[in-house]
Amino acid sequence: MIAAAIKKDLQLLARDRGALVTMFLLPIVFIAVFGSIFGGGDDDARRRLAVWSDPASPRAAAVVAVVKASGVFEVIEARDPDAARRAVADERADAALILPADFDPAAGHPAELAIDQAGPAQVRLPTIGAVTAIVTRAVFPPAAGADQPVLVAATPPGIRRELAGITGFQVTVPGNAVLFGFFLALTVGLAFLEERRAGTWRRILAAPVSRASILIGKLVPYFLIGLAQFAFLFTIGVVVFGMRIGGSVLALVALTVAVVACATSLGLAIAALGGTEKRLGSIGSVCLLVMGLLGGAMVPRVVMPPLLRAIGLAVPHSWALDGYTTLLVRDGAGLADVAPQIGALLAFATVFAAFGVWRFRWER
Amino acid sequence: MSACVEVRGLGKAYGGRTAVAALDLDVPAGSIFGLLGPNGAGKTTTISMIAGVVTPDRGHATVAGHRVGADRGAQRVLGLCPQELALYDELSPRQNLTFFARLYGLRGQALADAIAWALDVAGLRDRADDPVRTFSGGMKRRLNLAAAILHKPTLVILDEPTVGVDPQSRRHLFDAIRALAAAGMTVLYTSHYLEEVAELCDRVAIMDHGAIVASGTVAELIARHGKPPLLELELAGDEATLLAARALAARHGPLDGAGAVVRLPQPPSLGPLIADLESAGARVVRITAQPTTLESVFLALTGHALRDE
Ligand SMILES: Nc1ncnc2c1ncn2[C@@H]1O[C@H](COP(=O)(O)OP(=O)(O)OP(=O)(O)O)[C@@H](O)[C@H]1O
Ligand SMILES: [Mg+2]
Repeated sequence: MIAAAIKKDLQLLARDRGALVTMFLLPIVFIAVFGSIFGGGDDDARRRLAVWSDPASPRAAAVVAVVKASGVFEVIEARDPDAARRAVADERADAALILPADFDPAAGHPAELAIDQAGPAQVRLPTIGAVTAIVTRAVFPPAAGADQPVLVAATPPGIRRELAGITGFQVTVPGNAVLFGFFLALTVGLAFLEERRAGTWRRILAAPVSRASILIGKLVPYFLIGLAQFAFLFTIGVVVFGMRIGGSVLALVALTVAVVACATSLGLAIAALGGTEKRLGSIGSVCLLVMGLLGGAMVPRVVMPPLLRAIGLAVPHSWALDGYTTLLVRDGAGLADVAPQIGALLAFATVFAAFGVWRFRWER
Repeated sequence: MSACVEVRGLGKAYGGRTAVAALDLDVPAGSIFGLLGPNGAGKTTTISMIAGVVTPDRGHATVAGHRVGADRGAQRVLGLCPQELALYDELSPRQNLTFFARLYGLRGQALADAIAWALDVAGLRDRADDPVRTFSGGMKRRLNLAAAILHKPTLVILDEPTVGVDPQSRRHLFDAIRALAAAGMTVLYTSHYLEEVAELCDRVAIMDHGAIVASGTVAELIARHGKPPLLELELAGDEATLLAARALAARHGPLDGAGAVVRLPQPPSLGPLIADLESAGARVVRITAQPTTLESVFLALTGHALRDE
């Protein structure tokens, strides 16, 4: 009977173009748009530094050689000082290093660094810092034998290395998958309502099948379609948007099963609340949007103030996204790293299902 | 005749409002049994309790010896055709019927045979794979019936199965229902159309305000509760003559009508009435009799017409 019910609901869903678009197409559009806005991608690329040095100054020429040799910047050689400054103004370079003929820091004649002082601090400060360090070492070389690194950067144990080259898609793919994935709950609620409205519910109740298998037969197809939705979105994420999965794929599957189970149970709870199709459509989608917002599906939770972050823990979305962030961004993260999130999601699922079964009205 | 359905003291209230009150009912095996009542009488609630869809507050029902609600025995031997078009509009008849048949455990060849047979009963064999949403109201009603009989139930419960169908589809449905009864199925048929019940049903129970007010064959009900047929006579004569004639006619029963038309319940014998009218100088030009109908039985029993909408 359950197999028949699964087949029937999948047949129905296959003819519900609206639901299919919302589940599979809309999230792709959101991912594409927001992923390219939050861009990144070139974040890890080397900064472009325009350079001009007065040919009359050997000291300046030596500095340019050191800057080039350091490999820290993509060096663009400018024809004259103004060309160097224009390169910054035209955004062809992030900064311009201009070394005049009288360049001699010890004598109070510094070089000029042309850079947008109102530009983003993430670009401005490291650029100024790096140029300063390179130029300083070039002008005041350490004594022979003391030419050793002053520091070595290393990740302390306990922190997993973040993947290099993280793009906006690393955030928007799971964000939108979770946002739209939880809309499954609305689809489930509406499917129950539709069954009642059409009267087919009455027919099913009159058949010799247990009420437990009626509920299971109604929920399992949506659980399966939810899994398919996540598989689809993550596959597109990897193949089309170059999203990388740092952690274990097995853990990703386990987390996704918990997320979809939670969304399906939420659907049962919504069905138990009843109401009209219109009310479900409006109130339900607003609630799911707010839950998504609080859960960090639209704005990552890491940039939220602490209070909002704490409130977010009350919705399953945040646990789902914390889990995905760990698995997608942290290299080598495994099942143990997302066990708390999976546990929380299953707890949410249990509460939703218990409420749904308790309040479910079999007789309209 | 043994009873296929036995209902004893069945009752259901919704939020303090009684939908069905302590109902007793026996549906003889093999009969087409009509449950007749106006909107809101409690027909759907009653059959829902018999079908195990609604849990009664009190009382119980048995179907072919299976107590409803005790296990799924009763539900295995009954088929319900709900008042709504209980179909998946986006699916084809074949897909609809496959799903409903599998609820009864049909599979393989038995499933294919059941679907082919039900499609034949509904006369929808050549539309079996079109989406139901493209069907006319009558075709949907026929499919609604087909979905209730796939497992060849002992009892078929039909809840107002002809709502919104054209005469041709109604004829088809009636023929199908008669064929099912002829094949040995018991049919429980609810309706608020008197003519339907009078035409189709062997026995009738009249329901009003959640209670059965009378039951029996149509002839029994008319004999027991019907008034004598109403006689209508058309007279000819001048105004004074007609006035005199009406005065004389009034001796034979409660008078109705106006002017040249005299209406009164049929007296035991017509001779004296006509003799009186003619003695007043009026000529009787036409006599018609309206036979007693279930409608008048219903009116007599409940004090209101069946269709108040
Ligand atoms: N689920 C329900 N909740 C509340 N009241 C109900 C419910 N179902 C039925 N009722 C009420 O019970 C009474 C009987 O309803 P029922 O549907 O059994 O009548 P019916 O004879 O089938 O009417 P109709 O010819 O309109 O189908 C009505 O007053 C109706 O409003
Ligand atoms: Mg009804």
